[in-house]
Amino acid sequence: MSVEIATGRGIYRLSAAAPLERNADTVVLTLAMERADGIERIVTRCRIARVLLDEPAEADAMIERLKAWLAREFETTREAALKAIRSERRLNEIAFDPANRGPF
Amino acid sequence: MSLQLIPPDINVDFVGKRYFFVALSTVINIAAIFLLLFVGLNYGVDFAGGSVVQIKFDKLTSGDQIRRALGALELGEITVQDFGAKSENQFLVRFEKVKNIGSLGTRIEGALNENYGSSNQAHVLRVETVGAKVGHDLRVDGFLAVAVATLFMGVYIAWQFAGVSWSFGAGAVIALIHDVLVVSGGLVLSRFEFDLTTLAALLTVIGYSVHDTIIVSDRIREDAAKRRREPLESIMNRAINETLSRTILTSGTALTVLAALLALGGPILRPAAFTLFIGIITGTYSSIYIAAPVVLFWERGHRIKGTAARAA
Repeated sequence: MSVEIATGRGIYRLSAAAPLERNADTVVLTLAMERADGIERIVTRCRIARVLLDEPAEADAMIERLKAWLAREFETTREAALKAIRSERRLNEIAFDPANRGPF
Repeated sequence: MSLQLIPPDINVDFVGKRYFFVALSTVINIAAIFLLLFVGLNYGVDFAGGSVVQIKFDKLTSGDQIRRALGALELGEITVQDFGAKSENQFLVRFEKVKNIGSLGTRIEGALNENYGSSNQAHVLRVETVGAKVGHDLRVDGFLAVAVATLFMGVYIAWQFAGVSWSFGAGAVIALIHDVLVVSGGLVLSRFEFDLTTLAALLTVIGYSVHDTIIVSDRIREDAAKRRREPLESIMNRAINETLSRTILTSGTALTVLAALLALGGPILRPAAFTLFIGIITGTYSSIYIAAPVVLFWERGHRIKGTAARAA
């Protein structure tokens, strides 16, 4: 399933780029943000504390929750993700926990 | 006791060796022009247009294998290069003219995973595309930015030193053109990618070089006012020697930082660090051996305000 968000850079599709990683306290969603016309795709990781999720956590439901937040925070999320991939050759990770709940 | 790298009474005859260094710089600049015309810069996706895809594999693979796996997608001419350390299993795949960019990342990931199987999964981390028209426009704008910056720096210095001689502006412009050519020639030889970051570094080199030229020119202006009977050649030598300690310390500290960036900054920053490294060396050199001799050649037989009638 893919969800679309409208950003200053056009329509982006959100989808899971890898199966969920389920750890003891967190679930990690590897999120792909791809522009609708395919000219850009960036992947980032979202580490979400289990206490913030309705179990069993599913990728589609998590993306749906992220949708509005990501549309608002798109520029900073995109920049951070690109910087990590280009310069550090790793995926950026956004952590959501009780102190920083984000959309959860 | 303070540490003194350059003795205060140093007296190197820089200007006396100007013919040799001007000839050397001319040869290097002609070589750089040939390199730019007949070999050309290695334009990045920003300027050349096309797509760049960054892929991470779970295990070791090779560029040839990736090329073969992507062959079925018929995406046109592709180049594959290692990205980062070998152990990171990351590659940059470039497409000059992608016929159908829709869902490019997903299609590439699918084709690779079908070919490699579950034993070595591919993950497309990034896809960036710049259209050919945008790439061409950026190239033209980039060239104009460098040309306009060079010209206006020269005009500014000519205006600032108009009270002494207009030739300082000409010297600064020629020194800046020299620096841009040397750095561009270095980029052609190194095959480092020329993208928007490298262009920003080139513009920084122009700023640094003109700053260095101003320091030397300003001291020449000061000394010319103090030593009215001294020939211009002698005043220039004195000014360069007086500012030598500052020149070496400033350039040396900047080069130390850039050397660290060059070695440890990673593949994305390396072209910009290389550009700045070469640019600072050549910018320092050109302030002494290009900008000052141009003033001297220009003023030959003339009197610049406040000095003896004849330049050596």
